[in-house]
Amino acid sequence: MSSDNTPKIDTPPDLERRKFLNTAAAVGVAGTFLSAGLVGCKKEGASTASDASAHGAAGGAHEVAPGTLDSYYGLWSGGHTGDVRVLGLPSGREIHRIPVFNPDALVGWGITNESKAIMGTKADGSLKYHVADTHHVHGSYKDGTYDGKYAWVNDKINCRIARMRLDTFECDKITEIPNIQGFHGIFPDKRDPVDQSINYTTRVFCGAEFAAPLPNDGHDMENPEKYHALFSCVDAETMEVRWQVEIHGNCDLTASSYDGKLAATNQYNTEGGIKYVDMMSAEKDACLFFNIARIEQAVKDGKFKHYGDSKVPVVDGTPDANKDPKTALTAYVPVPKNPHGVNASPDGKYFICAGKLSPTGTIIDLSLVLKWFDGELKNINEVVVAEVELGLGPLHTAFDGRGNAYTTLFLDSQVVKWNLEDAIKFYKGDKNAKYVVDRIDVQYQPGHLNASMSETMQADGKWLAVGCKFSKDRFLPVGPLHPENEQLIDISGDKMVLASEHPVRPEPHDFIIVKRDLLKPRQVYNLDEFPNAVKDPKDAGVFRNGNKVTVKITSMAPAFSLSDFKVKVGDEVTIILTNLDKVEDLTHGFAIEKYNINFIVNPQETKSVTFKAEKPGVYWCYCSHFCHALHLEMRSRMFVEA
Amino acid sequence: MRLLNPVRGGISALLLVLASAAYGNAYEAPLPVKLSTDPDLCAYVPCGDVIAGADSFSERKGKPAYVEAYRSKNGDHGEIGDHEKNGDSQEKGSHHGEDDERELIGYVFLSTDIVDIPAYSGKPVVTLIGMDTKGIITGAKVLRHSEPILLLGIPEGELTKFIKQYVGKFVGDKIEIGMPREGQSYIGLDAITGATVTVVAQNQVMMRCGVQIARQVGILKPTIRPQAKFTELAKLSTWDDLVAEGGVQRLLVKREDVGLDATGTPYLDLWFGYLNQPTLGRAILGKSNYESLMARLKPDEHAIFIIRTGGGESFKGSGFVRGGIYDRIQVAQEMDTFTFRDLDYLNLYGIEVAGAPDFNESAIFIIRSKSFSAAYPWKLVFLANKMDKTTGHRTFTSFDAESWLPDAYLQGGRPVIIVPDPTWLHIWKDKTLGIVAFTALLLLIGTVYAKRDWLVRRCTRKNKHWVDSFKYFGWIASIGFVGFAMMAQPSITQVLTWFHALLFHWEWELFLTDPFIFIFWWFIIITVFIWGRGLFCGWLCPFGSLSELLYKIGGWVGLKRFQFLLPERIHHKLKWLKYAIFYGLLTVSFFSMGLAEKLAEVEPFKTTFLVGMFNRAWPYTLFVAALLGLSIFTERPFCKYLCPLGAALAIPTTFRWFGLKRKPACTTCSACAKGCGSLAINPKGEIDQRECMLCLDCMVMYYDEHACPPLSQERKRRERAGLPLTPVGADGHYIPIMPLPAEEKR
Repeated sequence: MSSDNTPKIDTPPDLERRKFLNTAAAVGVAGTFLSAGLVGCKKEGASTASDASAHGAAGGAHEVAPGTLDSYYGLWSGGHTGDVRVLGLPSGREIHRIPVFNPDALVGWGITNESKAIMGTKADGSLKYHVADTHHVHGSYKDGTYDGKYAWVNDKINCRIARMRLDTFECDKITEIPNIQGFHGIFPDKRDPVDQSINYTTRVFCGAEFAAPLPNDGHDMENPEKYHALFSCVDAETMEVRWQVEIHGNCDLTASSYDGKLAATNQYNTEGGIKYVDMMSAEKDACLFFNIARIEQAVKDGKFKHYGDSKVPVVDGTPDANKDPKTALTAYVPVPKNPHGVNASPDGKYFICAGKLSPTGTIIDLSLVLKWFDGELKNINEVVVAEVELGLGPLHTAFDGRGNAYTTLFLDSQVVKWNLEDAIKFYKGDKNAKYVVDRIDVQYQPGHLNASMSETMQADGKWLAVGCKFSKDRFLPVGPLHPENEQLIDISGDKMVLASEHPVRPEPHDFIIVKRDLLKPRQVYNLDEFPNAVKDPKDAGVFRNGNKVTVKITSMAPAFSLSDFKVKVGDEVTIILTNLDKVEDLTHGFAIEKYNINFIVNPQETKSVTFKAEKPGVYWCYCSHFCHALHLEMRSRMFVEA
Repeated sequence: MRLLNPVRGGISALLLVLASAAYGNAYEAPLPVKLSTDPDLCAYVPCGDVIAGADSFSERKGKPAYVEAYRSKNGDHGEIGDHEKNGDSQEKGSHHGEDDERELIGYVFLSTDIVDIPAYSGKPVVTLIGMDTKGIITGAKVLRHSEPILLLGIPEGELTKFIKQYVGKFVGDKIEIGMPREGQSYIGLDAITGATVTVVAQNQVMMRCGVQIARQVGILKPTIRPQAKFTELAKLSTWDDLVAEGGVQRLLVKREDVGLDATGTPYLDLWFGYLNQPTLGRAILGKSNYESLMARLKPDEHAIFIIRTGGGESFKGSGFVRGGIYDRIQVAQEMDTFTFRDLDYLNLYGIEVAGAPDFNESAIFIIRSKSFSAAYPWKLVFLANKMDKTTGHRTFTSFDAESWLPDAYLQGGRPVIIVPDPTWLHIWKDKTLGIVAFTALLLLIGTVYAKRDWLVRRCTRKNKHWVDSFKYFGWIASIGFVGFAMMAQPSITQVLTWFHALLFHWEWELFLTDPFIFIFWWFIIITVFIWGRGLFCGWLCPFGSLSELLYKIGGWVGLKRFQFLLPERIHHKLKWLKYAIFYGLLTVSFFSMGLAEKLAEVEPFKTTFLVGMFNRAWPYTLFVAALLGLSIFTERPFCKYLCPLGAALAIPTTFRWFGLKRKPACTTCSACAKGCGSLAINPKGEIDQRECMLCLDCMVMYYDEHACPPLSQERKRRERAGLPLTPVGADGHYIPIMPLPAEEKR
């Protein structure tokens, strides 16, 4: 409540410490990443392994006293833990983890029948996939800001997109996108391109980073020039894939415009290279724009094909098929070498592409892109209104709503604050325009960053979180595996001030920071939401149908409604458990000894598990989630008769 | 004698305590420490006594709490004490069916779980009440009370008898004390004579408890109030505007209110208001949060907000964590109480309106009921425990503040509501006639005394009927009307109560509930400072009047030769005893009001007037009989030597404005001292105003040419000199004969 107050910033970053000679060290660190492309293209040096003491004492506004609440929710991807984490900001406290693609023993994700149905199973009922790599989390929009309904996250390994309900903070749908690999960037749209009354999210755009033969059935494996990537659109409600666009090159990150008309993806491998050296041979790659209305019209007009057994319409977005701007579905805007990140400014005017291998940031004016699609521009390069030098390894950009952008410099281990309008003036030739406002060292090698409400029209310029990919010496050593270092910067003043840092389990990629009052989480479930709910303890019992046995149980602290139940060896047992407790936070667990089963039921929730009774004997079932003073006594017995 | 005083006081105290132990078994009866907190209420109190036929009881459930009473169907009492462990009816799977072996026959509840209505003592009468499933009271039992009148005055059986009247009555009926007059439709109960305040309070306790539980278990249908229609005001407000116009209200609880030491910071400082009203809701929440909140509410759901701006105590507490119920906060509208579950709570993140104070705890609570309407006033109630510093005991108490949307926020303004008279007003209206007569009596006596000069000049030492007729009228009226009929005998206990009220918590209501005492005390306070305590003590105190009237009668019937006054030597020592008693009582009262009230039985007033000599235990009757018997032979023995009330009034009498008249010759002549029944005139002729009963005998003498020695001498001198006897002047001498100046003569 008091966290809105921002500290006075009186500690300027020590720019004097920055020395050119450190460039070499930085190049060394990033050597495998960049051995050829960088040398000599940069004057400004990367950071020393500086300590944060110059800034560390600043403020204290990030501290949230016991009993008080954070001002923002942070939704953090978990990386190859396959989950999504919920943080409170500015404290950085982790409040929750949402299991999404990977099994989670705590809640029984991947163990209960309900979660398996969402995750996807093989014919034998076992999970189809066990690993995932979540990168980008984005929320659903209404009127240019978060509506608190959904968030989506991608799985780069198995090419799935998951939706999470933000009322329960649970994953409710997972869709596997056909004919793609390396599913990376996603972004929901913000309104409909045609129907302006639809001022909320109805689509989620998905980029595929790795090109492959289409369909990927074994043909042309050795012919990379025959590989293609697809850009996909998933329906926000049904979670079905609406359409795909076949493109030249690949898709990295994704962005959508506030008017709903455009989506874009930055492309770092227009060369279609297989090895990194090949991928950075061209001086320019592209920021690829999609004209949503035209694509959907093309689908409507039947101008699509199918690949393999996928029923998803695929339209042609390759440069050759889209030469006439007036009919083009796509526009390939050349931007410098291997860009990473494309981000929409909160005023709705610009997309910013960061250079990665080029030390530049490119500002693309969306109104000009629309003009290009209307055939009013001679040269597509005219849509670029600025291309300015920011520092080494620019990756991702966030905004403060006051006209400034904040871009991570991976190699410099810095965040640079720069002013968009000044950058545009500078690019136009006003050499007096000082577009770089401030720089701050971060520890170390930042990847994504995001500011509070930065991806909405309500960007409030209060806090900037920076996901540093290396923590090295910043935390107590715990062996060879280091945590990531999530740093929080106060951006409410002219100067950026490092406020705090937290170790996080690898490896979050992207995140969003959402004002707390935009979300309306539920407190308990409703019994009626579960068709299999056991609504009365009197309905509990063992129901047999051949060798299929259903055991219905209710829980109410401190007892399960059945103190024991009998099944036979060889039975396929389904246990349905409804938690009849209504008190908020009164969650029960259900664990069966020696049967590898555990899951929880929240108040008024119903879950079920199915397993084979293989081992005869008495097996204690107990409540594994602390519930009551008599929690330890809350047990039942499964008798498996031989 | 001085050494003996405390010993005697101690012995009489001991006697009284012993007597009280024999006669008042619920008085300040110790209650089990866990009675108000343990889930198993019936393990501590005899629940079966208030509902016949019940053989097992549930644990406490609901908010406010009650227990369910069961009767086993097979009559087997084996299940007694097998109370469920968690207040829910869930049992293990293999034990199904046990529920069906007993039937619900009613409910039992403890008054202090439900209401916090203090009786005369300022403490609640802890009552256990039984009610059947139709809402008929099946029994009630007083577990503990602190009513002094029931300890030493009225037998406790009277209260039991009073409470018995509820048995068989429906809690939904309107039940009041006293028989209904014409045009009034309620069921009347017989009051306990002399304990009106206690029974009025107890009636509220019985009815409110019954209604609350009957509502909760569904016996009584909820009141459905017409819903408010809101206006939308376009103006922008500040927090101060909202507070000024009443859209936002404050509930302040001081530390001393809950028995803690005052530290200058409040125990709890809350601000609250109603959020559905669009102007108010938007001002507090901001437009988008207001709309989002309203979108979450169903019809008949109402949101209020609360913030804490001061005090360290949480209004949320921690009860909601385990039981899911906020046990410190309620909303009340008339007889309806709305409590909040954990699911009725939402975070309040901030207040939009400019100038809002900083806060460190906040909440949005949702009332889900058709009974609630923002068109009518409602109260935010904070439930707390008050700690008794001396014993460390905690008792349930509550604090509330009213909120009613301002006219401008409601279409058509606030509806007209008929507010029932507060209890005190009800009593005043009931006793209007008596109050008028009593006030007239006081005014008459006051006027008579103010005109004393006129009266005493018409009297002589031999014939004082001008004064006496008024005085005797006052005595007889005060004995018969004030004392026996109205029971308005003032008592030292009132002084003690006021001392405490002044120091701790002044409550007009408490004092207004007895109109005669209330009016009498204003009269006493005013006249003490104008003329001294004598007007009350000598003219209007029922017991004092009785005492002196007996003395007069004794004289008239020929006992004059046995009548005596104590030798001055003894009198002047013994008169201090009453001050010692007063200070003793005051001191004791700071440690134990209960003990002080028991010791105040040194006053024979209750026995004489409130209860009647023949309704008391013999020690009391004997005490009064002895005092009154002695009064026949010596003037006002109780008033002179024992009365702590007289002592208490004597002290401020030091500062009275108008004393009695003296003349210079009085310093050597003490003739009037001889006739002073109060022994208030010393050899120097000075009147001890603290002892003086304002009988006016000396004033009669003052003007009596034949009785007052200096005046008599002057009369004789003038007669000898053949001078005319001019009228006696205000200075008590003949108006001097001043020869007129010669030139004027011409």
